[in-house]
Amino acid sequence: MNKLQQAIAMLHEVDSEAGRSGDRSRIHPAARLFVNVLFILLTVSFHKYNMMGLLSMGLYLLITGIWEELSFLKGLKRIRYILFLIALLGMANLFFDRNIIFQFGSMNITGGMISMATLFIKGVFTVYAAYFLLMETGIEGSCAALGSFGIPKGGVTVVLLTYRYLILLLKEVQRMLQAYQLRAPGQKGIHIRAWGSFVGLLLLRTMERGKDVYDSMLLRGYGGEGLWKEAGSRQISSGLSVVYAAAWTLALGALRVFPVFQIAGSLFG
Amino acid sequence: MHMADALIAPAVAGTMYLCSGAAAGYSVKKVRQLSEPEKIPVMGVMGAFVFASQMINFTIPGTGSSGHLCGGMLLSAILGPEAGFLTMIGVLFIQSLLFADGGVLALGANVWNMAFYGCFLGGGIIWKQFMKKGMSGKKIVAASITGCILTLQLGAFSVTLETFFSGITELPFFVFLAAMQPIHLAIGLVEGLITSAVLVFIYEARPEMLWGYHINDSGKGKLSRKKTAAVLALSALIIGGAVSLTASAYPDGLEWSMEKAAGTAELEAEGKLYDKAAGVQEAVALLPDYQFRGKESAAGTSVSGILGAAVVTAVCISGCYALKLFGKRKETELKPEKGKKGHE
Amino acid sequence: MAEIEVSHLTFSYDGKRDVLSDMSFRIGEGETVGLIGANGTGKSTLLKLLVGLLSDHQGSILADGVKVDKKSLETVRRKIGYVFQDSDSQLFLSTVYEDVAFGPRNYGYSGEEVEKRVMEALGQVHMEEYRDRQIYRLSGGQKKLASIATILSMEPKILLFDEPSIALDPRNRRQLIHILKEMKGLKLIASHDLDLVLDTCQRTILIAGGSIVFDGNTRDILTDEKLLRENGLELPLSLSRST
Repeated sequence: MNKLQQAIAMLHEVDSEAGRSGDRSRIHPAARLFVNVLFILLTVSFHKYNMMGLLSMGLYLLITGIWEELSFLKGLKRIRYILFLIALLGMANLFFDRNIIFQFGSMNITGGMISMATLFIKGVFTVYAAYFLLMETGIEGSCAALGSFGIPKGGVTVVLLTYRYLILLLKEVQRMLQAYQLRAPGQKGIHIRAWGSFVGLLLLRTMERGKDVYDSMLLRGYGGEGLWKEAGSRQISSGLSVVYAAAWTLALGALRVFPVFQIAGSLFG
Repeated sequence: MHMADALIAPAVAGTMYLCSGAAAGYSVKKVRQLSEPEKIPVMGVMGAFVFASQMINFTIPGTGSSGHLCGGMLLSAILGPEAGFLTMIGVLFIQSLLFADGGVLALGANVWNMAFYGCFLGGGIIWKQFMKKGMSGKKIVAASITGCILTLQLGAFSVTLETFFSGITELPFFVFLAAMQPIHLAIGLVEGLITSAVLVFIYEARPEMLWGYHINDSGKGKLSRKKTAAVLALSALIIGGAVSLTASAYPDGLEWSMEKAAGTAELEAEGKLYDKAAGVQEAVALLPDYQFRGKESAAGTSVSGILGAAVVTAVCISGCYALKLFGKRKETELKPEKGKKGHE
Repeated sequence: MAEIEVSHLTFSYDGKRDVLSDMSFRIGEGETVGLIGANGTGKSTLLKLLVGLLSDHQGSILADGVKVDKKSLETVRRKIGYVFQDSDSQLFLSTVYEDVAFGPRNYGYSGEEVEKRVMEALGQVHMEEYRDRQIYRLSGGQKKLASIATILSMEPKILLFDEPSIALDPRNRRQLIHILKEMKGLKLIASHDLDLVLDTCQRTILIAGGSIVFDGNTRDILTDEKLLRENGLELPLSLSRST
């Protein structure tokens, strides 16, 4: 129930936040997707002991977040979904890697501590990157990006339709659960006797809706696989998009290859 | 369980993208061949259905906990394995963006772990084999439970393997495996029960909606047997490869547990596995580790490094805000002009 | 001439029980006709047959002079627009504009023509200001109007409505009636909302058990309490109050 409400709230947030007009809508979603995936790729490729190098990648998130006015707090909240696995695997490093790497005052810093920290940082960074991508382009934008990277139209159409009917079905499930709980007070979930019918009825209705949607598409001249013809009313500047992608590729590459923080520090120190 | 971006090395992620991509390409071709254009909207709406029904808590009798639906096998039993697989990709893609469940980079791995086995093994092989000679409620229950347990076991095993090859954790392969498999046995059983309950309901209400209900009528028996054999061989290959890998890692696991039993604090034996993992990591790292030279610079946490980080970060933040401020001023300067033009 | 001519139409889903049997009627250009009858009498089936969503019928259907069969589907569907009962099935794209533009784009019109048609269609249902609104943020009434616009943008000569006023609040319903009255062209409105039929249609066809029981002046049938009751219907509220 709780997860359901969160999901609905998230969808509302994405639709009201994502793709707001202004500077951000002038960059093609494909460029956004490219830069974010590149960022994630480079971030996770850092060695587990290379914490400073990894941290320098955060500059991308920092700049993007400030520039696009994205919420760092909301992004951080999303880490909880992957926290369990990361914690499980990260904590293990504490116990299994006790090589002392250096001493901080009187404290021995082990490889396990650092690798656990880098794992958490990687977790936070990658979650932010996905969140920013979503907020920059919305699901529709991401789909358009997939389309321009050669993903078959049928596949993109499935994603778009899933997204379109998501909120409808989430709300329907919510109503069904509420109706169920009102007649089954004190029950946390669905009783085993209702497992089949509860989901089964929803499934039957969904299949019928699928048929109706198809009919409605058919009656409006739907012939092929694709659902959309063009990106619509977005004012995308291809020049700006290329510059955006190229600039970030260079910058991220530099952050990945050069120890930027140390170099900057040595200028001062 | 969703793999996260942070837990996967680029090479592993890439490999899994290739595997899942191949399966997706095959599925697209298959769905096109069927030329059932009504399938695409149904797939889309069903994707939303799976997404939403994953949110339902199913009370497990006799326990305080609840189970959930994953959907791969259920979808395949309705739409067929190929369409089910494509639908699941859509679901996982949206989840990775919307809820940070999994991630963009780990998508290939997640599709493989959660959709491939469920749809092709659960639906394409197990469901199909069980229903070959006609459908019945009992067969549906048996197929669902077998399918879900098997696919979740393989999925969990894949997560363990992918994690191991990514070399991000020091957790010994066997310890992780020992934690993952039994949990997923229970999860698989519950999911199997839920899936079978839903499918039996559909079977009683609208049997013609189930995939393979008319399988006997179509004369494609021979062809599909060939295909089944091919998929079986492929799975055998994958599983075989995994098992042999496990076997080769086994001494390390054993050594580790012996060492643990002996109470050695240093856990040196674990080193072998670590070396291997590190070796793999080094081999697969996307770019050579430029800065990483031995342990002294490893942390890179010299005073100068920290100072540098502070300076660069401060410059970036203030730069951003300064630019934004500049941009806004420009905007506000422009606006009145625009307004004037409008009035003229 | 945009007209519908149905003669000796018989249809069955399972080959055993006829849902429609030997039905014949003709609707002329510019007419607005109500189609009433209790649940399960075949109203939706009839509408779906007219646009070719269901096939394998006996008898003939002529839409604007074209015989409705498997070969003529594309032509027929350009002439006939069908507004679904459930707006959410009709609106499958993200924004109002995208959805209203779906039909014209599929028919290959230029960008400007698409834009023009979309804005005209939205204008007819007074929804211009919602063009960029997310579909799921629309109210039930707005969804209905938007889904009508998705049909109008294709400029069909014949419009079929399946329960247009279902789940609308009184105000939205009034607005819908107003818009239906403004709309030109042949309209066939299947509805349980007899007041809406009374307001919008001069002529009404009552079907029961798959056959036409009455075909004539709306006021005549909607005041015939006995006939209505025999066929599982009740007097419209507006008329029962006055009597």
